[in-house]
Amino acid sequence: MAEQSFKRSIESVAEIYRYSEDIMAASAVDESVRFPVHLAMEELFVNLVNYNPGARREILIGVELANNGVVVTITDFDAAEFDVTRERPVDTGASLRERAPGGLGLLLIQHMVDTLEYDYRDGRSRIRFSKEPETTDV
Amino acid sequence: MFEIGYAESGEILCSGRLDAAQSATAEAFLGGLDASRTLDFRRLEYISSAGLAILLKTQKRLSGNGAALRIINVNKHIYDVFRYSGFNAIFEIETL
Repeated sequence: MAEQSFKRSIESVAEIYRYSEDIMAASAVDESVRFPVHLAMEELFVNLVNYNPGARREILIGVELANNGVVVTITDFDAAEFDVTRERPVDTGASLRERAPGGLGLLLIQHMVDTLEYDYRDGRSRIRFSKEPETTDV
Repeated sequence: MFEIGYAESGEILCSGRLDAAQSATAEAFLGGLDASRTLDFRRLEYISSAGLAILLKTQKRLSGNGAALRIINVNKHIYDVFRYSGFNAIFEIETL
């Protein structure tokens, strides 16, 4: 598994994209995997940065190819506990007037990846998700 | 990289990746709108929740004047993002 650490900054988002895109493009990973993987990585990374502003240590991201898809592990060694697998309902049917910006990141991840796991121990938060190519029924 | 600007047709052309690091660029441009406009997403490859937040904020503000954003040439992945978010009910959207 390839791993790289990233500074706790929103500016790291572009670097994370290039890092994971290079790995997936080199192995011709299907576009139906690449888009959701980029989205999930960004949303999870940005959550870790935004909701724990006092943390200092870099965030470790690992990308592993498996079953024509990808498994991503994101480890924050300086984290507050925040279970990303817990459902946080968003009323997506609300009217424009009732809708407020925010809260969509985890909802999107939960729709777009195949598996999502969370483990928290002694200040270390580890998120693992996987995505395989979409199959078309014949 | 994300770019936004007027096309010769008068539509607003978005290109690249509208992610959390680029949402301020979108917000600065869309914050200047005061009438209905069409956003052309034919060259937009990607959008995350940070970009959705700017679109929603703009749509809410414009709706106060009876105006709205319309979004055209949306790719499949971005349309999925809109659909999961319920944005297909609060924006007029045309797919590629």
